[in-house]
Amino acid sequence: MMYDVIVVGAGPAGSAAAFKAAKMGARTLVVERGSEPGAKNVSGAMVRVEDLSLFDVKTLPAEREVKRVRLVLGGDLQVEIKPKERLVNVGRLKLDKWMASQAESAGALVITKTTALKVTPEGIITDRGPVSGKSIVLAEGANAILSIGSGLRRDLRPEETVQTVKEVYSLNKDEVNKRFGLTGDQEGIAVRYLFQDPVPGAGFLYTYRDSVAFGIGVHMSSLISHRIRPQDVLEEVKRSLGIQELVKGFSLREYSAKIIPENGFPSWRPCQGNVYLAGDALGLVNPITFNGIGPAVISGGLAGEHAVNGECHEYETSLLRDRIISQSVKVRPLVRELLNERVMRNYISMATNLSSSWVSGDLSMTPLKENSFTLLKHVLLLMGATS
Amino acid sequence: MRVEEKLYTLRYKRDEEPHLRIINPQQCLECEREYGQPQPCISVCPANVYSWNGEKLILSYENCVECGACRIACPFHNISWNYPRYGLGMSLRYG
Repeated sequence: MMYDVIVVGAGPAGSAAAFKAAKMGARTLVVERGSEPGAKNVSGAMVRVEDLSLFDVKTLPAEREVKRVRLVLGGDLQVEIKPKERLVNVGRLKLDKWMASQAESAGALVITKTTALKVTPEGIITDRGPVSGKSIVLAEGANAILSIGSGLRRDLRPEETVQTVKEVYSLNKDEVNKRFGLTGDQEGIAVRYLFQDPVPGAGFLYTYRDSVAFGIGVHMSSLISHRIRPQDVLEEVKRSLGIQELVKGFSLREYSAKIIPENGFPSWRPCQGNVYLAGDALGLVNPITFNGIGPAVISGGLAGEHAVNGECHEYETSLLRDRIISQSVKVRPLVRELLNERVMRNYISMATNLSSSWVSGDLSMTPLKENSFTLLKHVLLLMGATS
Repeated sequence: MRVEEKLYTLRYKRDEEPHLRIINPQQCLECEREYGQPQPCISVCPANVYSWNGEKLILSYENCVECGACRIACPFHNISWNYPRYGLGMSLRYG
């Protein structure tokens, strides 16, 4: 059997690619290495519903609607924002299974427990044998060994990689509602933390219906230079941010880890010949907005569409034309600056100093003045990214 | 809680064939001389897959959570990383 499109990976990018290709009438095969779609996938637990509009979002398996996004700086400064757009907390296993089932309904064949080992001119070789296909979409995620092995892109370097670890704690719905001040089982919250110790990094907390996810992301270079393990950073941050109190009595249900690529397209080409990259394999996460699933679905959809007709060049231009993807790309110079340990420490202390001095009645803007040049530079970079 | 206890929350199906391999064990000695302890692969691994016994690197691939960090962290590109076969390795419920 000769497929028109073979997709490697049934995550958001892969299922979007397969959904789109199958809808266009292409014979589409998805090869997934996990025992089911999502079994190997990790992320924060929040999506912008608009980013998923390729799929039929009426049936989206949301855990809770995010009504408040809270930002916590260094433990002292807290800001709460009501999101204007629709954000939902999701569990990745349910979300990924839902996306894959939509691709199946559109006509794609999804095969699990099968690992793609190699891309060949005729298709791919899996651990169960070869499959032939005209176009290949590699949506294999951040640990993109197939894409790297095929020479489509290089490997990540420690300075452009964030290591994350995440824990999920479970308890009944009422207790989740009570501890996070939620008014019902449908309402959810997202919290983002920025911390400095033992190494600078970002944390996140999301509410599932009957559980809570907490995790951290730290720069791989910081782990190496400080000789500290991510799990030790997680424990120390949980203590200093009071997370242990927050999840007291909850039982640990899952521990997981993921690397986040902080570089990629357009310095990596999104396709070559009949092979297309999408999602994390192409490095499309926006670390400022924490959005990885959105760019994955969008790029996957575009890859699927252009893979059907063999339009490599058109795929590249369509990526650049997309607002969400071009924003992740434009924000890169700012991210490189902010990932610098000194800069990150400086910002966190500046924001907390300013707010605590304001609270105690002092209106002096000394920290701002002292950092005005850096601030201006970063504001300009941010404006460049959002223009 | 120790990481080994946290890993009990995951469902593992072990692939008898290791999906991780040290390409040249001698290189790890040089890494230890240059980077000290813990070496970069040990520092970044969230599942304590790697440990140093003073002479060589011990690899417990069956603990792996499949993030791929160690391969990137190794300054000598000395880790061969393949996916576990046939859906083996770890499986998540939340993800």
